[in-house]
Amino acid sequence: MSSPKLNRRDFLKLVSVTGGGLVLALYLDACDKLPPELPLLSAKDPASEPGAVTPNIYVKVDKNGLLTVTAFRSEMGQGIRTALAMLVAEELDIAWENVRIEQTPADSRFGNQHTGGSQSVTKYYTALRNAGAAARQMLIQAAARRWKVKAEECRTEPGFVIHPQGMEKLAYGDLVEEAAKLNPPLTVKTKDKDFKILGTELGHWDAPQIVSGKAIFGLDVRVPGMLFAVIARCPVFDGRFSSVDDSASKAIPGVKQVIKLDDRVAVLAENSWAAIRGRDALKITWDEGSKANLDSQQITSEAAGRLVKASEPANLLEAVYEMPYEAHATMEPMNCTVHFHDDVCEVWSPTQTPQSVQKAVAQVSGLSQDKVIVYTTLIGGGFGRRLQVDYAVEAAQVAKAANVPVQVLWTRADDMQHDFYHPLSVQYAYTSLDKPALPIINIEHGQGIPIGDWRSVGEFPAAYSKECFTDELAYRLGRDPLDLRRELYRDNPRALGVINLAAEKSGWGSALPARQGRGMAYHATFGVTHVCQVAEVAVDARGNVGVKRVVCAVDCGRVVNPGNIKAQMEGGIVFGLTAALKAEATLKNGRIQQSNFHDYPILRMDEMPLVEVYILESDEKATGIGEMGVPPIAPAVANAVFAATGIRVRRIPIRPADLKV
Amino acid sequence: MPVYQITINGQVVEIEAEAEMPLLWALRDLLGLTGTKYSCGMGICGTCTVLIDGLPVRSCITPVSSLTGKSILTIEGLSPDVTHPLQKAWLEEQVTQCGYCQPGQILTAAALLEKNPAPTDAEIDSAMSGVLCRCGTYQRIRKAIHRAAQGG
Repeated sequence: MSSPKLNRRDFLKLVSVTGGGLVLALYLDACDKLPPELPLLSAKDPASEPGAVTPNIYVKVDKNGLLTVTAFRSEMGQGIRTALAMLVAEELDIAWENVRIEQTPADSRFGNQHTGGSQSVTKYYTALRNAGAAARQMLIQAAARRWKVKAEECRTEPGFVIHPQGMEKLAYGDLVEEAAKLNPPLTVKTKDKDFKILGTELGHWDAPQIVSGKAIFGLDVRVPGMLFAVIARCPVFDGRFSSVDDSASKAIPGVKQVIKLDDRVAVLAENSWAAIRGRDALKITWDEGSKANLDSQQITSEAAGRLVKASEPANLLEAVYEMPYEAHATMEPMNCTVHFHDDVCEVWSPTQTPQSVQKAVAQVSGLSQDKVIVYTTLIGGGFGRRLQVDYAVEAAQVAKAANVPVQVLWTRADDMQHDFYHPLSVQYAYTSLDKPALPIINIEHGQGIPIGDWRSVGEFPAAYSKECFTDELAYRLGRDPLDLRRELYRDNPRALGVINLAAEKSGWGSALPARQGRGMAYHATFGVTHVCQVAEVAVDARGNVGVKRVVCAVDCGRVVNPGNIKAQMEGGIVFGLTAALKAEATLKNGRIQQSNFHDYPILRMDEMPLVEVYILESDEKATGIGEMGVPPIAPAVANAVFAATGIRVRRIPIRPADLKV
Repeated sequence: MPVYQITINGQVVEIEAEAEMPLLWALRDLLGLTGTKYSCGMGICGTCTVLIDGLPVRSCITPVSSLTGKSILTIEGLSPDVTHPLQKAWLEEQVTQCGYCQPGQILTAAALLEKNPAPTDAEIDSAMSGVLCRCGTYQRIRKAIHRAAQGG
């Protein structure tokens, strides 16, 4: 790999030798030209604001020879903590078991910590490798000085610098004190071969803590003296209470305080159960406001009514597709723990955006941002829900009013009924049969309730209508959907790469029994990671769709952790299958009708298809994987259902009633 | 308030709680055993599963008053040092993503293997399909259970 020349402003700066460690602050912007933020996420990005300072990251090697990497993005199962540390560890040349990861609190010095859009590895790939390489070079230099040899003639083995004659070696830990006194290198050389860590299948660094029950998620935070709070929110969006009778609530053993915020009411108790019961015992009259008549069927018709249809070109093929609101349904419901003391506010939050939490809590509590300390815990599922800050704002309001540390817990129903939903949409796709091409798509979203980012955001409907329509077009033209895609994507070699690989591995074109079928979908989510999936389904006489097998080919550029790429594809497919076949959030009388996993059913193990993931070798830039497995699966399944039954269902979730014999 | 003597992870503990308090909250909020997780609160998702006398039980709907004389195993008690065959298999197969549901998955699997040391895929699905995972780790859970059944 190249040796980037770092200019004065961007050099690797030695900032501290506290604790006997070699600590490098790496100014990142010269190392990696950052791509512009994706439009969907930019408005909320703290670093998009003027005055944001240069990002930097800390890498520490200590006297015990341990590498500590500071994680500055949020871990929610996508494996980012592990990936960031792998990039550093590879270049430092250290055994994986000697790597530690520490999560930084919200801190503008670390740049933008907003963990959304599957961008962390893309943005920091080069920078973190340079950080590790710089530390290695300094350790080599320290050893060379001691041995009075040329640094260029030394090499390393994991954790050691090796003497040019190979007879002696020095452990990193024995070199850090001398290395820390050296000037950091102005150029770094990263590896171009013989990778020991990158490209290997490493389990998540946090996994041992998780399987032993020691991992700390948001709800596991315990602050001495804290109370647990559960909040009554108006079941209709934007409504508020008009009167509250809390006498029954206060009579429940363990209930300590009832706090009225502007629009909602919190019950604080000695334990979560008392808080839940206390909340449920409140007698509240709600002023439901202007949204008490919202109905998702009506919202759908209104969106359909706004759709602009095409009048030209001639000989149109057109279709309208539809998808409902979807909830995030993270297994760990929303929660946040807040403690005001000594003029500061400490916040423990399973959040994807700690800096936004910091800013929002500062605003609502009247503190300056530097007085708000936000610790990001492990996250029991994010999927975009935790890019919001609502859970933190209300927790701060409650903790401030209560004058004790408070953990606000959302029950499952709270979480499901007060989400920021993946938007309901109707999509009109068309193309001319005279000159068949990828469709033009007009989309209209439902209006009236809070919507937000949901794993793969607008790529989900975009891929759904594009890929379902492409399948319809192929049948209409009497073409094989694979052949048509090869033609439509003929100028896109990376698209063709995954399409051909998925076709080959799936046995595309081979015969299947009656009422079974294969469907294909290809999509490049955010235009960067290419994924093609072939779903194989069986539809029984009652119309139940069983997905038997999914073949997934992915090209995400240079590979950091292939095990994790496969896991994220598997996970994306499962997430998408829930939306394709099972769950939807509906509104009646302004209320979300679903409240738990019985009426918002997510995919279960006995419904899990065999998923095979194939990764294309690539020297392209490393791109994201967290969301990219989701968009192709719904159209792949819909197309497979058509192949199996001849029925074209243009709405998800596909239900048995759509397909009964 | 009544006091209940319950055996948790091999130790007899006293829990002073109302009779109806679910075991989940006693573990988490009274005893500090936060490895057992809350997710649905209605016995639907299996996240909060613990073993009671070896059988998988939803702790979110199990009142503490029903547990006198019973022996409870939570994820913290499965092994002192992450060496239970299922924990090792979970690491080998790189099962975990967010990890929130995994204590319930692992304990449910432990009860399965206790009863059926060599389960088929169908038997695994049948035993495990009540434990939900939004991250989609099911395929790896299946593999990990097979691996543990085969002695790692």
